[in-house]
Amino acid sequence: MKRALAVAALAALALPASAFAHASIERESPSFEQRLSASPRQVLIKFDQSVDALPKAIVVLTPDGKNVAGRPRAIPAQREIVAALPRLPKGPYTVRWQALSNDGHIVSGVYTFGVRVAAPPVTDAVGAQGPTRTEDVVRWLYFLGLALAVGGIGFRLLVVRQPLPARPQRRFFWVTGIGIVGVLEAGIAAFLLRGEDALQLPFSRFLYGDLSPLAKGTRFGQTFVVMELGFALFAALLYLAWLLERDAFLWAAFALGLVFVSGLSLSGHSAADAGHSWLSELADWVHLSAATLWVGGLVQLAVVVWPSWPELRATAIRRFSRLATVLVALLLGAGTYLSVLRLPHVRDLWTTGYGHVLLVKLGLVCLALGWGGAHHFLAVPRIERPGVTGTLARTLVGESAVAMAVLLMAAVLTDSKPPPQSPAKAPVAAVSSAHR
Amino acid sequence: MTIAGIEPKAEMVHWWFATGILVLGLLLVAEVVVGPEVWGRRPWRRYLWPGLCFLLGLLMWPVMALYTNSMIHMVAHGSWAQVLMLTGGAELGVVRGKLHSQYWRLTSVVALLVSGTAFLVHEQNGWYFARAAFLHHALGWTLIVAAVFPLAQAFRPRSVVAASGFAMTFLVIAVLLYCDRDSAAIFGHFSTFAGVPHR
Repeated sequence: MKRALAVAALAALALPASAFAHASIERESPSFEQRLSASPRQVLIKFDQSVDALPKAIVVLTPDGKNVAGRPRAIPAQREIVAALPRLPKGPYTVRWQALSNDGHIVSGVYTFGVRVAAPPVTDAVGAQGPTRTEDVVRWLYFLGLALAVGGIGFRLLVVRQPLPARPQRRFFWVTGIGIVGVLEAGIAAFLLRGEDALQLPFSRFLYGDLSPLAKGTRFGQTFVVMELGFALFAALLYLAWLLERDAFLWAAFALGLVFVSGLSLSGHSAADAGHSWLSELADWVHLSAATLWVGGLVQLAVVVWPSWPELRATAIRRFSRLATVLVALLLGAGTYLSVLRLPHVRDLWTTGYGHVLLVKLGLVCLALGWGGAHHFLAVPRIERPGVTGTLARTLVGESAVAMAVLLMAAVLTDSKPPPQSPAKAPVAAVSSAHR
Repeated sequence: MTIAGIEPKAEMVHWWFATGILVLGLLLVAEVVVGPEVWGRRPWRRYLWPGLCFLLGLLMWPVMALYTNSMIHMVAHGSWAQVLMLTGGAELGVVRGKLHSQYWRLTSVVALLVSGTAFLVHEQNGWYFARAAFLHHALGWTLIVAAVFPLAQAFRPRSVVAASGFAMTFLVIAVLLYCDRDSAAIFGHFSTFAGVPHR
């Protein structure tokens, strides 16, 4: 029986073939984000199965949104669609394509190329509007999930440092579990929203939109792939820690979480904007990690320790207060450095949209720090007095809420564009200049 | 970093998962044949199918993240990853003694319903449009109808009929997955009705 199973499995794996349910691009010319030294004569897209050309099967847009492609035609024998081009002047171009595949689905996609200039990322394709308020909310949920999951485990390992009784343990795993599910779901939602913006298709067509240029051709997409895989593994480790009651899995998940938090730094302003360096990426990672641990720890104090483990309240808040002092120092140091880097002039704070959001965030940070300072200097020394713990339960929830609002501002900032460092730097595509 | 360089072909991935689900089904069939008492004499055996189910869910994440040539497939793969981990995880929790209610078996009901719905939603053509369309409908409805078996098991844990139906569901799904390509490992390209084999 064992041998038969093994043979069946091997036979199944040894017979690869090739056929997708609907058409996918095999090759395109010019290729994704290619920088050409001369104008191409045509745009050619080759599929893995024969396709029919729809009207406007290939549209090549200049930065001002004008279509310069000739009438597209299908070459069924070669499984290609082709559109001739006039002589293109220097500049970035956006290709939007659509084809009717064998199975009746209309498949669509977008990509960019440049003639004697670097091609813009597909997220800056002509027609793309940039991040929306929905994306801000999704990114906020992502930050919240990170704080609950990674920050929650950090609190358990660095502050509690001992096995939890049954009730707080159950709460701890619920909170961190909700956090990691939130990270995975918000990650997918953020990727799809960015894809929807780049493709600019109605929903029914977006269902079959090709997101691979976004996933494989942009820093954002590559980071999405790596972070989803990393946090899926994080979820498995967290689950094993619950199932087997081994802290080793929690340590592994914590280390993995801190490593993958850096994915946001590697795909954000600190890695992509002018003036970025390894130092700006490191500062961004420190800033994010400290915020994650701070907010996650506050939530654990308010939701896990306070209601379900009264014996640990005093110890936990003293230990967390010491840890939070270090975290806040790191948060402020890295945050100040990044603010100076992104806003070289003080006037940028009140003359640019990015500066306005930063001011609101700074205001909320000051409120949270004041609240934390009151806990540290006023409440913690009096923790043993009657009535203090009851008041602390409410104020901890309040401080957690303010910290979450700080994360919301951080999400809006991440999706916003800092003011350009040099006035000579022109926007990539004039039509896509709707970034805040 | 070039992600395209590490992607296996879609067919390979279908057949890897078909093999995993076939093994899962065979483990369940073995438990039904010998009975839960005999099966549980060696405690590790009780971890086999839920552990494999959880692992298949974990392995589905790379499929979700790497195969992004259509949005709907990405969402479908993501939902399969999550429900496989959910149902495997819940069953492991029951086996380990961390979860005590027999109603955790209802996570399998949720998993089958979500999986079936994902198959049906991501296929927009009718049953007889093409081979893949037929099999996607067959997979979707098989999963949805089969949700009755874990539902019955939640209320009658010792029902042999429910356990057999649950086990057979995975064997049927594995066969359908093996067929779900024009150049499939079994049944081949069964009809010109499915169109000329492309590529």
